[in-house]
Amino acid sequence: MYKIAITGLGVVSPAGQGKVGFWQNIQTGQSFMSPITRFDAAAYPSQIAGQIEELAAKHISPRLLKKLDRFSVLALAASEDALQDAGLDLTQHDPYISGVFLGNALGGWLYAETELRDLYVEGRDGVSPYNASAWFPAAPQGQVSIRYRIKGYSKTVVADKASALIAIDHAARIVDRGKLTFALAGGTEAPVTPYAMLCCSTEGGLSPGPYRPFDKERNGFVVGEGAAVVVLETADTARQRGAEIYGFVTGFGTTCDGTHRILPDVGGEGLAQAIRFALATAKYNPEDIDYICADGVATELGDISEARAIRTVFGDRADQVPVSAPKSMYGHLLGAAGAVELVGTVMAMQGGMIPPTINHRFHDPECNLDLVLDEGRRADIGKALVIARGRGGVNAVMAVERS
Amino acid sequence: MDVEARITDILVKSFHMEPDEITPEANLKTDLEMDSTELVELVIGLEQEFKVSLRDGELSNKQSVGDIVKIISDKLG
Repeated sequence: MYKIAITGLGVVSPAGQGKVGFWQNIQTGQSFMSPITRFDAAAYPSQIAGQIEELAAKHISPRLLKKLDRFSVLALAASEDALQDAGLDLTQHDPYISGVFLGNALGGWLYAETELRDLYVEGRDGVSPYNASAWFPAAPQGQVSIRYRIKGYSKTVVADKASALIAIDHAARIVDRGKLTFALAGGTEAPVTPYAMLCCSTEGGLSPGPYRPFDKERNGFVVGEGAAVVVLETADTARQRGAEIYGFVTGFGTTCDGTHRILPDVGGEGLAQAIRFALATAKYNPEDIDYICADGVATELGDISEARAIRTVFGDRADQVPVSAPKSMYGHLLGAAGAVELVGTVMAMQGGMIPPTINHRFHDPECNLDLVLDEGRRADIGKALVIARGRGGVNAVMAVERS
Repeated sequence: MDVEARITDILVKSFHMEPDEITPEANLKTDLEMDSTELVELVIGLEQEFKVSLRDGELSNKQSVGDIVKIISDKLG
């Protein structure tokens, strides 16, 4: 069991940059999807995505910018946001007491696919020398550590759409063990690229839109780009430096279905077990939970197995636990999803309002949950769960508590 | 434009350096903070600009801007 304070919230998303704008937007039940214009998406089943049109990242110099894939830029923007929100200047501390833990699913594919094309068309000399340091999954971790002089225990997690939640749990455990004083933790993803969209498409999960989790007419998810980073420290550290505590990470569970290379176990037993582990580590009972921020991938098996898992653990109380998938508004941020949803859930606790699922029109008896639909619902949320699931049956569940 | 001015132009345009920091004495690594990957981009830029060929290792970021000007000038004869 651990109880680690969240003292900084950084988010860069299609629904806004910065926690205040993001929070104002996701209460409204609007869609933040837009047509893809960066490349010709005509050949893809989905021609829309959650995209960030204007990114405020003045702290990144043009000289550095050309060496970075977008997923690193997004991670740097969210990290800056989180540290400012936490009132924390890491350069004033021993560099070995801070760490960075970031998840992503894809790596820096915009950079990589462009350079791979150049490799095959122009030969070796056509490839940018920066590709080597731009594309790989740990590049954002490296860039954030350089920027803020972070030299302590750090880690990149690649576990498909569960990456960010697993990274945040890892960070919380390392802080809990006293190996770090401060951790930046979250996820980043830049999937609006031809190759990344192709992979989502051939996986069978990509929707032409609208993205409608738990709807009987659902047809998959729509991708979104962005990053979210939280600052983690112990409550004692936060109090000593006079930092505001927004919430606590209190428990975590992760399991693997072990049934199929892409699809989840239809019965949802693996996810149910991950929920039980999260509740047990947080020392919560199912009746303590006031809100579940669902994965809501909007595939047939994804939604049904998630609803079954919730029903398995919560029994009849599943009728009374509000569930929503705010990502229906801004897209599935894949490896960053859990982090963005954690930020949204902490803001929901602070604001007393559950952000909704949008685009839901047709009730699915297989997904018989208390779904918060179309607009935010007022609620007193003391304890919540955030769910993130990846291809191949990765399940991750984080328990969160209001400060 | 002479060789030095053309090399300065490459450094400004490719690496967003300030023209006044590019002096003949400026060391590529310690003064201009160029790493090995930027050196590769510089080599490609010089080969295209001056239509010369540079061997692997012929340029190093231990050199100064003046050293690079001399190497290129010697190749141009």
